Amino acid sequence: MIKHLKRIYMGLVILFLYLPIIVLVVSSFNNSKILGKWDGFTLDWYKELFNNASIMNALKTTLILALMASVIATALGTLASLTINKMKRSTRSVVMSITNIPMLNAEIVTALAFMLLFVGLGISLNFATVLIAHVTFCIPYALLNIYPKVRQMDNNMYEAALDLGASSAQAFFKVTLPEIMPGIMSGFLMSFTMSLDDFIITHFTRGSGIDTLSTKIYTEVRKGIKPEMYALSTLLFVTVFVLLLLINRTPNEEKRRKKLAKGKKSHATLAMGMCIVLIISAVGYISFRDDSNYIGDVYVYNWGEYIDPEVIALFEEETGYKVHYEEFETNEEMYTIIANGARNYDVICPSDYMIEKMIDTDLLAPLDYNAIPNIKNIGSEYMESATGFDPGNRYSVPYCWGTVGICYNTTMIDEEVNSWSILFDEKYSGSILMQASVRDAYCVALSYLGYSINTLDEMQLKEATNLLISQKPLVQAYVIDQVRDKMIKNTAALSVIYSGEAIYMQEENPDLEYVVPDEGSNVWIDGWVIPKNSENKEAALAWINFMCDPNIALMNFNEITYSTPNIAARDLIEDEYIRNSQIAFPGESVLSRCEVYNYLGKDGDALYDGYWTKVGTAASE
Amino acid sequence: MDNKLIDLQGISKSYGKNLILNNLDLYIKENEFLTLLGPSGCGKTTTLRIIGGFESPDSGKVIFDNQDITDLPPNKRHLNTIFQKYALFTHMTIAENIAFGLKIAKKSKTYIDDKIKYALKLVNLDGFENRMADSLSGGQQQRIAIARAIVNEPKVLLLDEPLGALDLKLRQDMQYELIRLKNELGITFIYVTHDQEEALTMSDTIVVMNQGYIQQMGTPEMIYNEPENAFVADFIGDSNIIASTMIEDEVVEILGAKFKCVDKGFGNNTPVDVVIRPEDVELVEPQMGTIQGLVTHLIFKGVHYEMEVEANGFKWLVQSTKLVPVGTRVGIVVDPFNIQIMNKPESEDEEAVTLDE
Ligand SMILES: Nc1ncnc2c1ncn2[C@@H]1O[C@H](COP(=O)(O)OP(=O)(O)OP(=O)(O)O)[C@@H](O)[C@H]1O
Ligand SMILES: [Mg+2]
Repeated sequence: MIKHLKRIYMGLVILFLYLPIIVLVVSSFNNSKILGKWDGFTLDWYKELFNNASIMNALKTTLILALMASVIATALGTLASLTINKMKRSTRSVVMSITNIPMLNAEIVTALAFMLLFVGLGISLNFATVLIAHVTFCIPYALLNIYPKVRQMDNNMYEAALDLGASSAQAFFKVTLPEIMPGIMSGFLMSFTMSLDDFIITHFTRGSGIDTLSTKIYTEVRKGIKPEMYALSTLLFVTVFVLLLLINRTPNEEKRRKKLAKGKKSHATLAMGMCIVLIISAVGYISFRDDSNYIGDVYVYNWGEYIDPEVIALFEEETGYKVHYEEFETNEEMYTIIANGARNYDVICPSDYMIEKMIDTDLLAPLDYNAIPNIKNIGSEYMESATGFDPGNRYSVPYCWGTVGICYNTTMIDEEVNSWSILFDEKYSGSILMQASVRDAYCVALSYLGYSINTLDEMQLKEATNLLISQKPLVQAYVIDQVRDKMIKNTAALSVIYSGEAIYMQEENPDLEYVVPDEGSNVWIDGWVIPKNSENKEAALAWINFMCDPNIALMNFNEITYSTPNIAARDLIEDEYIRNSQIAFPGESVLSRCEVYNYLGKDGDALYDGYWTKVGTAASE
Repeated sequence: MDNKLIDLQGISKSYGKNLILNNLDLYIKENEFLTLLGPSGCGKTTTLRIIGGFESPDSGKVIFDNQDITDLPPNKRHLNTIFQKYALFTHMTIAENIAFGLKIAKKSKTYIDDKIKYALKLVNLDGFENRMADSLSGGQQQRIAIARAIVNEPKVLLLDEPLGALDLKLRQDMQYELIRLKNELGITFIYVTHDQEEALTMSDTIVVMNQGYIQQMGTPEMIYNEPENAFVADFIGDSNIIASTMIEDEVVEILGAKFKCVDKGFGNNTPVDVVIRPEDVELVEPQMGTIQGLVTHLIFKGVHYEMEVEANGFKWLVQSTKLVPVGTRVGIVVDPFNIQIMNKPESEDEEAVTLDE
């Protein structure tokens, strides 16, 4: 009876441990993109995986990194084990505990420490920094496997070899090394595994353009459902699982060997050999597929989902530059990385106020317009608007733009919408959605009150704050991402939204309409800039010029639906409705009543944040 | 047999502040079976390691075949060591273990194969070629270690307590085996043990060491029958060691009674130590004894009984095939030939005496 209970209990524990993995594995074979809905077996995700150049690149990096890190860590671990073994007992135990601590240390702490060290020393993150970090965290695992073997070895064995006529080198390579080889093998495999599946430390120490499988999975999954990533994760899990099996097999292997004299090459040796051969051939294969018209690298840092991936491939083909493409989620995240010099990029796409801040903090290099002949395709009105944050257009070229306005459901609102005032109308209490970001919330209030959206006047700000607080009872929610869903599903009638989103929402729900109120609003512009420390400004300029090509701009517009400032591209839009859409391309009159956000300075930011907190806390009371 | 094959001249060695060997002189003749005997920590292994080349002496010279080899590394010396824990290479088969030295010496394949066969036969382990080292018993491993050494045809074999880890029965078998091997091969053995019985059984010459000094060097008979000092007497077999006075030539006063002995030349009324082996103490009727005592303990030891007799304030150890029950009053007599007189050390500290004193 108790035996059965134990079994059930064990079964539950194992199920609990492996259930998530099972779900992952099953999902990777699921034809449907929707989680939890089985739609037949497919290998498509695996196929896509192997056809995706950036994933194959990440695989290559992962393998090279893991191989180098584990070989170096194992070599160092072997030397260290031999040295520690010669120490006095007291020193030995101290040294061993010191080397063990990094294993128990929280990984995030180690990761941060590494990043601080590198950045503090003024070393910008690159492949070498990841490698150093990996070697460092692998060494304890190598030691853990090798040192016991060294301890276990009869000290006289080395002397016996000398005694039998071997030189010290012969004694080391013919006796000491083979004797501890099983430890070295498992040390190598363990380090390899650790390096292979590490995420946190890699994430913090990697340089621009360097992605391992785990960081790749992370960035991809952050963007949305990607069944290829389930497939990749499954493969990663299987690899690590097999490696661990091999490591655990090593001791059994020895026992078997004792009984059976022939076939002395242990499985571990074979496994290591195979690993290395596989890695080298995989790396070779991936590298072989690389283009041969390579002339240099360009490191691009852009918003997530803000380009047609096809465009990157075209650029590479046309120019011969290899693109290392990375994404950020917020301007602030990007700013920290650039300002610290943690990673170097050649071309970045920040928003207006951030561009202003970067000019202010002297992070940008002026543009050489001779290298951007395609600039003629950008509408002059947008260049004009951009001078609001980049006087003289010296540092930036507009890439996408849009307005902030009101999206409303025509079936729920009868009256004509042309003023912010509708958001303060008690009639619509409970069906209003506001944007949960300081600048956008104040944009609504300040525009409604007739003030500049960049005001630093305390009286005006106080007035706007009181307005927002008084509006709170009417507001259904302050949200960011859910606006789309709620409006499409008719669960709200009015919302503050960006024009780019509105186009997409209208496609999903034709009852939705978008308007920029008469009082004026914000026009935002994201533009390409080149950081001062870019190592390949020529490539960066080529990139910017390429982005201004009408056909390329059109491809991007079709993919991401944000308005393009590229007039030539707009004329190429096939869909007449979209080409003439007032949402995507509002007339001159709309633009002229809109203002860009300016960088308010540290004190200005603090001022807004202070008032914004008041609005927030007023809500909870 | 008379030339010195190995000659250690004034060897001193310290580890940190501890002086382990102090100005040690020792020679080994060709074809000799020489045993270093002494208590744990007396420097036997250190001496052997200096001969083998694994340690270098702080001062002194190692002469081998009339050549100074003090600074020669181990792999250049024509001698091989059998380590206490065998030190077989566990990642190799037996055949590979035995072939190790020959391969390094770049011998031909057929030569090596012949040698392996020959050596395995010699140590009675034919057919073990393909076994792994750690699948063998202790005794077998020991013999493989010997096989691995002797295929290199060393002039000298150094053996550091080679039988220490074996059980009694196996140890005795191996003792005969080693003697046989030595006689067959005709090589010189330097053997380390702290087992005095083993030393007495196997050796041509025994060197008794204590605290880095040589206490006595001689044949097993000399060491056993004529220990030169109390340490040697005590260390070799059981003994009654009694502080006594040499009254005159051939008369010694032991515990207040006058005993006849055969030693001369100690002077008159000189304090000495007397050694009497337990089997040499005869128990007789009280009135017949030189001194009288009472049997206080009795143990049966197989071949003999061992008794303790308290007489004149000293507990005599007595071995006899005749049983004398506890509580019996007895007399003690000793044949003059069995009384061994030794000079007393001048102070307690000088119990250790160097050979050339
Ligand atoms: N490498 C070393 N470092 C420091 N002290 C040592 C070293 N090797 C030996 N000793 C010390 O030297 C002394 C003599 O050691 P040695 O090994 O020669 O003794 P031994 O006669 O072989 O003893 P045993 O019968 O226990 O093997 C011991 O006190 C030992 O602790
Ligand atoms: Mg020893």
